[in-house]
Amino acid sequence: MSSAGAGTTISLARQPDAAAGRAAPKGRRRGPRRPPGLPWILPAFVFVVGFIYYCIGYTGYISTLNWDGVSPNPQHVGFANYTQAFHDPVFWDTIRHTVIFFVVTFTVQTAIGFTFAALLHSRIKLPNLYKVIIFVPVVLAPATMAPIFRQIFSANGQFNAILSDIGLGSLAHPWLAQSSTALPVIMAITVWQWTGVTFILYFAAMTQIDKEILEAARIDGANGFRVLTRIVWPSVRGTTIALAMLSVIGALKTFDVPYLVTLGGPNYATEFLGTFIYRISIPTAEVGYGAALSILLLILALCGALAFGLRGTRRN
Amino acid sequence: MFETRRLSSKIILQVLLTIMVLPFLFPLIAMVQESLAGQGWDNYRVVWDTGVVPEFFRNSAIIAAGVIIIVYCLTMLAAYGFSKLHIRFREVYFWMMLAALTLPEVVLLTPLFSTATSLGLYNTYDSVILPLAALQIPFAVLLTRNFVNGIPDDLFDAARVDGANAAVIFWRIILPLTRPIAAAIIVLTLIGAWNDYLLPLVFLQSPSTQTITLLPSFFISEFSDDQTKVVASAVITAIPEIIAYLCLQRLFERGLTAGALK
Repeated sequence: MSSAGAGTTISLARQPDAAAGRAAPKGRRRGPRRPPGLPWILPAFVFVVGFIYYCIGYTGYISTLNWDGVSPNPQHVGFANYTQAFHDPVFWDTIRHTVIFFVVTFTVQTAIGFTFAALLHSRIKLPNLYKVIIFVPVVLAPATMAPIFRQIFSANGQFNAILSDIGLGSLAHPWLAQSSTALPVIMAITVWQWTGVTFILYFAAMTQIDKEILEAARIDGANGFRVLTRIVWPSVRGTTIALAMLSVIGALKTFDVPYLVTLGGPNYATEFLGTFIYRISIPTAEVGYGAALSILLLILALCGALAFGLRGTRRN
Repeated sequence: MFETRRLSSKIILQVLLTIMVLPFLFPLIAMVQESLAGQGWDNYRVVWDTGVVPEFFRNSAIIAAGVIIIVYCLTMLAAYGFSKLHIRFREVYFWMMLAALTLPEVVLLTPLFSTATSLGLYNTYDSVILPLAALQIPFAVLLTRNFVNGIPDDLFDAARVDGANAAVIFWRIILPLTRPIAAAIIVLTLIGAWNDYLLPLVFLQSPSTQTITLLPSFFISEFSDDQTKVVASAVITAIPEIIAYLCLQRLFERGLTAGALK
């Protein structure tokens, strides 16, 4: 869920424009004929589509092989790698983790980001200070922060120290070493990292709400909470759907944090599709199997994007 | 959004916000604290004295610059074509590019690995720059196309009547008028390229080419058990990012919201 991820937010909000783009030829009759545009888009198109579709095609081909990545005579096995994936309990674990991860991080980020945005629209002192604190995690590389989080959540780390300071010392334990708590920690780190994006998008969306509607609601006696749930929340629905799509793709792309903080462990408790594919393809060198998993991941990502993309279009 | 006419409600909101923001501040404080544990500022001196830090920074800067140049040039050309020129089946081309937005990097690993090895690009900057640029362009084109859509057609028609060809229009109208969105794209591309971990992890094998996201791993093998040094190196890499963000705060936030608003 890097900046390219942030991008997906937008593709929904874009739908009306794409429609406008299709309607454009009508306007063309008015002015002089437009020059051909193909040469202008060709460099980017060939670079991106050539590159990416070549890679996907190649991955698709490798996924039918039993190959270690170096041997000169890979063996064709048809769809055996896919069958293997469906019978691999770790694959289903990664799917389960991805779903839990998406539901939890999306819900928590939306709740916190939305609240932050509403509070910062309420004539608070030092708004910029709060904004900076919430947003700084977005610009820091997950790879840079991973050693710190490993330290914070270790058995003698700062998180346990704080727990005992506030009288909850009995809860202290090695968070990352236990299967039951490792995944929640990974999700907490992700929420810490990305709530800034949720906040900024909600904050921007809220500046577009008509002040007069809010004023009218208040005159009618609606309190702050009612205004939030009845007027503000429905008005930023487009942003929420866009963020949901961003979160789905982000969850499927998850790699850096689980790989660097827990290495997918303990006992596969934080294994995601990204870390699983990496481990199978590079250290284990079961390249064919890794490619089959990659294709499955790609199908899931496209379906996820499509599901939310279509919803967004219909709403618009 | 909340009315804050009374002093008491003002204070309640302020306190609520402050409590909510503490968990976001905590890892940053813990980070600085940990980096000063044990030998204090000497942790930083030891990390700096290894001499590799500037090298990692240079590599990250070269890669980020390469990606930004490719993304900027190709995006501007494509956005002009998609938005203001005549292309048959335009939306088909456009959506074929956009599909790449959903693509996880890890899917590219195996094909890129064998291609890079056979082309002799393994462990070069190019092996990271090219895939990163290809992954960033679709989103950049999406944003820029929408921005260019907002420029009135009459401007282009008038220029054409005055005898300007497409190249002149691109140079004289598109490039100057797209500066605000270009700034947003450069910032987004910078964050994406600078913070990327997976591609450098797989393709860059020597400290002379590795990027700052690999610096903690480098120090983990260098100082094995001394966690404070590793954290100190993380602080050193985080500081320039925080400073860059503080200086260009507007640009960073606009970059993220660019597409979400009209």
